[in-house]
Amino acid sequence: MSQRFSCVTCASADKPLERFIGDLPMETSFHRVESQEIKCGFGLDGVCCRLCANGPCRITPDSPKGVCGANADTIVGRNFLRAVAAGSGCYIHVIENTARNLKSTALAKGELKGSKALDKLCAMLGIDVSGQDIYAKALKVADAVLDDLYKPLFEKMTLTENLAYKPRFDRWQELGILPGGAKSEIVAGLVKTSTNLNSDPVDMLLHCLRLGISTGLYGLTLTNLLNDVILGEPEIRIAPVGLRVIDPEYINIMLTGHQHSMIAYLQEYITSDAAIQQAKAAGAKGFKLVGCTCVGQDLQVRGAHCTAFYDGHAGNNFTSEAILATGAIDAVITEFNCTLPGIEPICDALQIKQICIDTIAKKANADVVDYSFDKRPEATVQIFNEVAAAYKARRKDVELRLLPEHGNDSTLTGLSESSLKGFLGDTWMPLIELIAGGQIKGLAAVVGCSNLTGEGHDVLTVKLTEELIKKDILVLTAGCSSGGIENCGLMSPDAAELAGPNLKAVCQKLGIPPVLNFGPCLAIGRLEIIAGEIAQALNIDIPQLPLVLSAPQWLEEQALADGAFGLALGLPLHLGLPPFVTGSPIAVQVLCKDMIELTGGQVLINGDAAESANLLEHIIIQKRKGLNLE
Amino acid sequence: MRRILIDSEKCLGCKNCSIACMQSHRGEDGVAGLNLSSQELESRNTVLMNSKKQYKPLFCRHCSKPGCAKSCMSGAMVKNPETGLVEYDYEKCAACFMCVMNCPFGVLKPDRASGTYVVKCDFCADKGSNPECVKNCPTGAIKVEEVTTV
Repeated sequence: MSQRFSCVTCASADKPLERFIGDLPMETSFHRVESQEIKCGFGLDGVCCRLCANGPCRITPDSPKGVCGANADTIVGRNFLRAVAAGSGCYIHVIENTARNLKSTALAKGELKGSKALDKLCAMLGIDVSGQDIYAKALKVADAVLDDLYKPLFEKMTLTENLAYKPRFDRWQELGILPGGAKSEIVAGLVKTSTNLNSDPVDMLLHCLRLGISTGLYGLTLTNLLNDVILGEPEIRIAPVGLRVIDPEYINIMLTGHQHSMIAYLQEYITSDAAIQQAKAAGAKGFKLVGCTCVGQDLQVRGAHCTAFYDGHAGNNFTSEAILATGAIDAVITEFNCTLPGIEPICDALQIKQICIDTIAKKANADVVDYSFDKRPEATVQIFNEVAAAYKARRKDVELRLLPEHGNDSTLTGLSESSLKGFLGDTWMPLIELIAGGQIKGLAAVVGCSNLTGEGHDVLTVKLTEELIKKDILVLTAGCSSGGIENCGLMSPDAAELAGPNLKAVCQKLGIPPVLNFGPCLAIGRLEIIAGEIAQALNIDIPQLPLVLSAPQWLEEQALADGAFGLALGLPLHLGLPPFVTGSPIAVQVLCKDMIELTGGQVLINGDAAESANLLEHIIIQKRKGLNLE
Repeated sequence: MRRILIDSEKCLGCKNCSIACMQSHRGEDGVAGLNLSSQELESRNTVLMNSKKQYKPLFCRHCSKPGCAKSCMSGAMVKNPETGLVEYDYEKCAACFMCVMNCPFGVLKPDRASGTYVVKCDFCADKGSNPECVKNCPTGAIKVEEVTTV
């Protein structure tokens, strides 16, 4: 453990978790916030450039240009595009693996749980599959997706038009921001921003929009839909959340990542006779998966298909260290981010086995297992052998620190564009009528990550959500924001009490909470489908909807790519902290003002929950007026 | 009497002290939105580098025998005997800049935009206990300590 182990831990909206972490004898991210409190102002403003050996150059009133002549606008533009390109790369890696897994499953004639989802997807993508079996259809879909991802920069991806709402596609075409091959767009973003190439901040911001479109439609939307084909569609249900889901009588494997399709084989193996016998021989009742980060949310929304081996979502990215610190986790299987480096010393101290099944997210002290499709059966046996051995070796030594009172048993989950529409009677009209009648003032998507800045872990996210529902605004969530909000109880039907009188009445009538959890950050793609379908039902464009987007506690580069998608969709995008662009007057002007003319979108930055809720409510009211609803 | 003491060996040249100073004197909260291209912003401190390539943070010393106050004819620059701080009164300043000429550290300067007043450390008098530069130093190269000499 660190020698500078601070006794001061950062606050959390989740008070039981805050106390639990405060009492831990080991260091977590919560302990490191204080020692990293002082931030570099140049970094915050985005005006530090270290692209060449003349640097790092920093912009000040006395040094308004770098040695090369780049001003604040150019430096900010390059830094920002680099970050968005890297974030896009993460999501495109996820959809690439997901499409490859779908293709391999189809070729091997393996299990595909979502045949209805596949038919809907084929219809959506305009893929003619008449008379073909499920495997032939799946193969065509996977190939169509992969073909697009690998297209060169100068060739537009063909599925974009099928995936996007028509008026949006038309606007993107007018603006010249339809993306070429998704991978090529990322490479172009990196090349543009290398030393002494692009210096045009507006061109670089427009490139961010192209990356937003490819990230959103492929990395987000399609990843959900392909996963639904492989692993089954979400079904609305009540499920437990929080540290209470950890049952120490089982051999527990915590998952971190974003790629549900990667563990399709592994999750089925858990309920096999071989695995159960192995667990019993080791002295446990069986194996279980414990959900953490977004892949845990994927399991949570598809929980109806996972009841035998998955009890619920324990917590978001910055809860992962606490989950491990309970001592009841025997192994961590990592397939992507958000896997904090901070879990490594905890795993070492508590003898927790770390296994990595995607080398992209290789952790320093994890074993890498080749988990390619053909090798999954043998690799899974190897993983279970190692995890069972870890369980036997560690449980006699390791003290358990459980928190069975944490979280709740009453969180509504399983929301998707299909399950919600099904709940409403296979039409959006009930929701549209509630919005038109003012019982629901509007919709706010509170999405993205969790971070420890500002007032602390999930503090702004939860406070903002509370303020929004008080104003009769229905909140939809996707990402680590979901993990924090659910553990604070706002996704339980009882939370209707916290909503404004109109929304409360709607929630109580329908038996739903005022905050609807769509699961992982990938599900921002599901929210886009819902926005498009509601807009279509009203024959308007997405920016006209009384719908706002907020990533109050965005953390990482992926969130910036998500945000670029939100802006391309023409949505107001609230952020609690600025994305390292405020040193550039042009970037601020384009993102916060001119974007309204370009796509209809707009960045709003405010770190105060009440003020932010007022800003978002004001926009919703303006949009309602635009539709003659006020 | 409180003074900013400098341990230049700890300085890494991040200039956070300069940003904090500009931020503290611009009248709006939050580093975000600080337009570092603006000629209106000025820092009352700076970080120089000596011939051995070592960082040398430069701050107003609020000197025991302040050359600035001594040379000020209008009474704008005055040593406060209670706090030990050298205080500057904009209203009284005649902009003769004798203080700039007589500062032994070269810290004082006329303002860049109008050239009509002196840019001078006020110890962030309205910002609570310690000056913002000290609060924002990540390495502890500058700190406030009680000293006995005036």
